[in-house]
Amino acid sequence: MLSEAAIKEIEAIRAKYPTARAALLPAIYVAQREFGWLSPEAYEAVSDILGIPKAIARGVATFYAMYRHRPMGRNVVQLCTNVSCMILGAEKLVDFLKNRYSLEPGGTDPDGRFSLVIMECIGACGTAPAMLVNEDFYENLTEKYIEEILGKYK
Amino acid sequence: MITVNINGKDIKLEKAVTVLEAARSAGIKIPTLCYHEQLEKYGGCRLCLVEVEKMPRLQTACTLISADGMVIRTETEQLAEVRRGILEFLLINHPLDCPYCDKAGECELQDLVEKYGTAKGRYMEKKRTVPESLEDPVIVRNMGRCIACTRCVRMCEGVQGASAIAVINRGGHSHIEPFSGGRYDCEYCGNCVSVCPVGAIMSRLHRHSYRPWQVKENIETVCPYCGVGCTVILQVRDDVIKRVVPRIGSVVNNGMLCSRGRFGYEFVGNRERLTSPLIKKNGVFEEATWEEAISLVANRLKEARDGYGGAAVAGIASPRCTNEDNFIFQKFMRVVLGTNNIDSSARTGYAGAQSFIENISGQGATANIIAGLSNSDVVLVTGGDPTTVNPILGLQIRSCAGKGGNILTVGHVRGLRHFNPAELRPALFTETLLLEGILHSLKNTKELPGSNPKFEAKIRELNISPEDIIKTCGVSEEDFNGFLKKLSGAANPAIVIGKELIQSIGSSYKLFLVLAINYLINGRVYLLSERANEQGLIDMGCTPDSLPGCRPVAYAEFRRRYETAWKTTIPDKPGLSIFEMMDSAGSGALKAMYIMGENPLFNLPESHASEAALKNLDFLVVQDIFLTETGKLADVVLPSLGWSEKEGTFTNMERRIQRLRKAVYRDGMEDWKILSEVAKNMGVKFNYADAEEIFNEISRVSPLHRDLTYNEIEKGNALYPYKGEPLRGVMEDIVSHKGDRLDAGDKLYLGLERPLFHSGTLSTKASALLHIYPEAVATISPSTAEKFSLKPGDKVRVTTGAGSLSLPVAVDDAVHGSLVMITNNFEGKGAFALIKYIADPVTKAPVIEGIEVHLEKDGTV
Repeated sequence: MLSEAAIKEIEAIRAKYPTARAALLPAIYVAQREFGWLSPEAYEAVSDILGIPKAIARGVATFYAMYRHRPMGRNVVQLCTNVSCMILGAEKLVDFLKNRYSLEPGGTDPDGRFSLVIMECIGACGTAPAMLVNEDFYENLTEKYIEEILGKYK
Repeated sequence: MITVNINGKDIKLEKAVTVLEAARSAGIKIPTLCYHEQLEKYGGCRLCLVEVEKMPRLQTACTLISADGMVIRTETEQLAEVRRGILEFLLINHPLDCPYCDKAGECELQDLVEKYGTAKGRYMEKKRTVPESLEDPVIVRNMGRCIACTRCVRMCEGVQGASAIAVINRGGHSHIEPFSGGRYDCEYCGNCVSVCPVGAIMSRLHRHSYRPWQVKENIETVCPYCGVGCTVILQVRDDVIKRVVPRIGSVVNNGMLCSRGRFGYEFVGNRERLTSPLIKKNGVFEEATWEEAISLVANRLKEARDGYGGAAVAGIASPRCTNEDNFIFQKFMRVVLGTNNIDSSARTGYAGAQSFIENISGQGATANIIAGLSNSDVVLVTGGDPTTVNPILGLQIRSCAGKGGNILTVGHVRGLRHFNPAELRPALFTETLLLEGILHSLKNTKELPGSNPKFEAKIRELNISPEDIIKTCGVSEEDFNGFLKKLSGAANPAIVIGKELIQSIGSSYKLFLVLAINYLINGRVYLLSERANEQGLIDMGCTPDSLPGCRPVAYAEFRRRYETAWKTTIPDKPGLSIFEMMDSAGSGALKAMYIMGENPLFNLPESHASEAALKNLDFLVVQDIFLTETGKLADVVLPSLGWSEKEGTFTNMERRIQRLRKAVYRDGMEDWKILSEVAKNMGVKFNYADAEEIFNEISRVSPLHRDLTYNEIEKGNALYPYKGEPLRGVMEDIVSHKGDRLDAGDKLYLGLERPLFHSGTLSTKASALLHIYPEAVATISPSTAEKFSLKPGDKVRVTTGAGSLSLPVAVDDAVHGSLVMITNNFEGKGAFALIKYIADPVTKAPVIEGIEVHLEKDGTV
């Protein structure tokens, strides 16, 4: 079930667009945030509010790689391994996350605290390596700095 | 006038159609894959590319609109090269499992590769593999074979309006899935199966059991299920129906089918079919010869007739039997047994509603073309969900919405919820009040047209006080006014009336209100019909008060025509209705009954009383294809040939007479043949060589079917009133009954669920439909579930004043919080067992509203 606030949020999004289908992508983001991933219930909730058949909602969302199509941990770490970050040691950081936090790329740690997504360039090449944790941005990463950052997320 | 030149040939076009259509009209074939005439243009497969002079690039013929002077080439070296390339690309991933694939032989990709492709592919990498999905009981998906033409998706979304499947993922990983990714949660129309050009989506029913080229004959006939009367083509091998497919261009359903029509045919070969006549000896059925059974029936009926008179015998006809069967049935009852005691299950709604409507609006008032719904600008839906009762009619309503028409509904209509309906949901038991409110407001904006003075007088007499209507009904003023604005502004409106309205409290008064609304907006009325030949049996005279051609039996001048033809006298008093028959059998006044293709024990209210009544008869003969609950009470059971095993005609709800054809051979006799044999044994000769001879007699005696022949019917447009005359001007006083408005309180009430996947008990003999909808359930709302701490699958005991059933629970948020929905489709678990026979005094339809239900948890499954 979506919270009242989330329902209102989706309805407000709907009001900005001429058709319900145009509002589908941002509405799915809201549902994803509420459910943690795009579960069948998330699609059903969006479908009920926007009046778009749920199979269509799912069809549209699966086109996009950056929605969460599987259950995720409580916090999502998105680490860039594109050219600049790679040159400055992002791949070592991947190994670090694997060893220190049991986080495989695309996987979730056993506690369900973190999920790791390897992402493409986030435009922080000058301050690489960089990552997002949920919606927070971090740059100039080192192993030590990552430990410090992740300590803030429970 | 536009002229285009294709391959050197000038083609004149009336209007600017696509180049593909222009080419086809001139017999020039352009290869296509994603194109399908029923679907929106897509231009995705690129196979229809053509060269157009003065255009720099190749163009897709399926989307390019012809312009005057266009010079087009469809077969050149360049195009051959391009097509080879496209097909090579498709075969990168498409598996070459044709020897194993059921589609082989009718696969469009296979045919195209054979004609345009290369013998060898150059691609060395591995093919994409998607495992075969057998998660669904009816539809098998082999998505490895999918070429992403999206024909199925465009069918499901754009034509069927179900939107149950979609393309998922992207690029080379694209394929088609229902929402769950596995089992379908859809209307199971199977129209996606029809349009799939390859073997990606197929029916499991005939899986690996035959090859398309082994079908010797495509037999075109009429679907056995509902009153729409869709054209179906039966593909038969070795006297087994392998597949049912639609035909594009057929008048009623134009290439579309519903779940029952497409997947419901397996009852024909069901092993429970009766094979031999049965005679009950000492309470046990014993197989008997036809001679023995028929002479016993003849003797016992003769005893009853001679001993007690024609009034002591009665017959029940069948809306599943052909016109010919029903005609002979009523002739047998009237001529051989000398009685007008003939009726059918149509009495539980359709027949009464129709005579009520015809009394006001004239005979044939409901004979409107189904396809016309889609061209209406407003469709008002009352009395339930047309998309489950008459699914193909429902599609026309959806199509109307798609064309920009307004859908108005009184009550929630689930199958139309994605079609932007203006919905007024009256509180429980306030539907009458809401209809009054609508009529009252319409009267303020519309003049009475003056064409039907008698009706107008009645409308004027109505004493409606509009105060508090909106409040009492629980609808918002804004919704009400919006609804009314659309209704009163309609230029070409239609009103659909379903059985939920006919089987409710004060149904005749509600019908009166709906007709008055219809009169004011000058609309057309569609009366939903649940059985394939419900209309035909009425036209054939299988009613206690009318003769073939819908002529009232009470008038001597009408009777004379038949009496002359049949050289006999027909009783002048109308006979007993089906309900009166049960009463009369219960009281002992009725001595013998002949029931053909009907199961009154299950399809009438108060099964206990019906059971006692039928047991009280001296003699009961039941003629059917299965041994029903009613059959079990019979003294003699006669097995008959069923749908697809005999010739004949059906009359659909728009009153189109259509030919039913024999497709499979089975040992036995048609219903009319059995009746003729019994008649012969009673000394009356019914000499008919075949169904056509019977029809010729129908067209001779029925003033409605004058000069109609099988030849005429086969041309496809045998529409009411055919070449005959409907009866006009006999209008009895308009009487309707309002009934008392119940106070809902916080009690629970029984609702009759009419599932899309079932029709009577017949569909429960078709295994595919059983897979989709396997058992009777009690469907309740989430709030009721919470209140009684019930979850799906729990067993619940549902008790009413008439009976009690133990059923598994299903929870559905579309169900009204005060209703417990139960179907009447599963033997021993029918909702009618919970209903007492309380009828509307005018339409005589049983009231399935306001029946209090007691729920009790009955264990967990």
